[in-house]
Amino acid sequence: MTSTPASGSTTTPAVIRASGLTKRYGDLVAVDALDLVIAPGDIVAILGPNGAGKSTTIEMLLGLRTPTAGEVRVFGDAPNAKATRARVGAMLQESSAPESLTVAEAVDLVRHYYPFALSLDDILDRADLSEKRGNRIAQLSGGQQQRLNFALAIAGDPDLLFLDEPTAALDVEARHLFWEQVRGLAAHGKTILFSTHNLAEADALADRVILINRGRVIADGTPEQIKATVATRTVRLVTDVGVAALAAFPGVRGVEVAPGESVGATHPTLVVQTATPEDLLARLFAGGHLVSQLTVTDTDLETAFIHLVGATTQTAPTATPDTTPEHVMESAS
Amino acid sequence: MSTAGRTAYPADSSTTDSGDRTPRRLSPEASRMPGALGTLAAQLRAELLSSSRVPEYVVGVVAVPIILFTMFGLPNAGVKLPGGTDVGAMMFASMSAYGVVSLAIFTFGVGVADERGKGWLRRMRATPMPFWAYFVAKVVGSLAFCGLILLGTWAVAALGGKVPFDGVRLAQTVLILLAGTVAFSTMGFSLAYWFRPKAASAIGNLVFLPLSFLSGFFFPLDQLPDVLAKVAPYLPTYHFGQLVWSAIAPAQDVIAFGAHPEGSAWVHVGWVLASFVGFGLLARAGYRRELSRAAQ
Repeated sequence: MTSTPASGSTTTPAVIRASGLTKRYGDLVAVDALDLVIAPGDIVAILGPNGAGKSTTIEMLLGLRTPTAGEVRVFGDAPNAKATRARVGAMLQESSAPESLTVAEAVDLVRHYYPFALSLDDILDRADLSEKRGNRIAQLSGGQQQRLNFALAIAGDPDLLFLDEPTAALDVEARHLFWEQVRGLAAHGKTILFSTHNLAEADALADRVILINRGRVIADGTPEQIKATVATRTVRLVTDVGVAALAAFPGVRGVEVAPGESVGATHPTLVVQTATPEDLLARLFAGGHLVSQLTVTDTDLETAFIHLVGATTQTAPTATPDTTPEHVMESAS
Repeated sequence: MSTAGRTAYPADSSTTDSGDRTPRRLSPEASRMPGALGTLAAQLRAELLSSSRVPEYVVGVVAVPIILFTMFGLPNAGVKLPGGTDVGAMMFASMSAYGVVSLAIFTFGVGVADERGKGWLRRMRATPMPFWAYFVAKVVGSLAFCGLILLGTWAVAALGGKVPFDGVRLAQTVLILLAGTVAFSTMGFSLAYWFRPKAASAIGNLVFLPLSFLSGFFFPLDQLPDVLAKVAPYLPTYHFGQLVWSAIAPAQDVIAFGAHPEGSAWVHVGWVLASFVGFGLLARAGYRRELSRAAQ
């Protein structure tokens, strides 16, 4: 698996080549001058919090949305060219097949849209729907609907597969089976681009992670590189070290007085964002400092982003606005 | 699965020079599909299967004209008009014409609006499926259901009511009814693309009943209040009705039936064709509006 993160090279062939890709809704910039080169055979995760512009990006790469500015080529052609669509499969959010068809009938219908297709049995097997093949679509559960969406996406044996938040409705076991199938496709040299707001999922699957927030690429690299950037722990503790001194500790990305604590208290509870809580605690203990009421938790991605993007501004975690691009998009459509 | 087909495929029609035309990486399990006609056949099959499983459709659209004929046409079977046409035959024509308009509004209007609302049409656009296949399958599918309506109504009339049919006139009538299904499809498509998916069903019902009454499908036009009867000649469905009655019976009997034919057949044909083309353009505009909106 060749992973050449963000190499803007124009000599190696690319499955996707986007430059300056921009989508604006009025004053709001959902996707902001995105440059993207995806190499054949890559499994790429687009990671970002809700409203980061993931879906909008995927829909532009699919040719379903027209960029306000910039250009996209998929397999060297326009994304909405018939030749391109014959090689692309997509699992989109919010799309359901005709309810009175059975699972097998819907899959077979979509197979016939493509110049080449996997066999019906094979598709149902890969999507773990063999037992549900005779069920009407109206009777499917949310997770089964999601698997059907996957089945429809892979029906045409695509060289490039887009998966927009594919595991949102799946339970843990179904997720596991799902990713196993995706890996199998990748093993055939297929290129896979999926969006997620789950860091662990991106880490487990992708060989390249593109971190976006507010329509901009914040980081682009291997899962290890991204984890080092994003994976933050939240340490809550009471200590005699001051906020400013603590913020100067290596690996510490942010320190705040816990909400509800009075800033004037002698030792208020502090909330520390750090990639290396072990180092932090080791230093505190080594220095003989007070450490009590200690908790260490994983920082959710949203909070991590806030510390990553606005590291200097110390925005409160609650400041994630309701007017994020995806909200606007929904109300506009 | 054909190896030859696999090497023949790569999308060489692209016009770029970026060297990004990576070869197709087919799975060993993949096989070549039958192409555009195969797409159309699959689409038609899905259309027939899904429609025939929706009770609202089978009962509301296909069965209702037959039931209405049984209730109102059958009791009049055997009554002869001056030219010798059986009133049962006239009612067969009326109820079938009603069925055709109902098919147009509900298959093309409400049905398409539903698939549009559920995101299915959007998903189809992400595939290489040529969109004409979708529309053609809808039209061909509804011709099949129209055939069922005609067959059912005819069976009740001919077998249940012993209504005598003139073979040539019956054949002409059936052809006009089938042509009407195609002609009014664009009216339905316009409905589907110009109203919000959830409103389409209500609007469909709102438009459909007045159209049927004003076109004389339920009562002969001379029994309608004057004001309403004056509106009728401005409705394409009224002209369609005139064509249908003129096909099933001689002018003398059409007049006796109360349908007061005015103008030549060409005027009626003109109205129906104008409706087909006019609504066709409207539907196309709606379809394009939808495309550009979705791309926003």
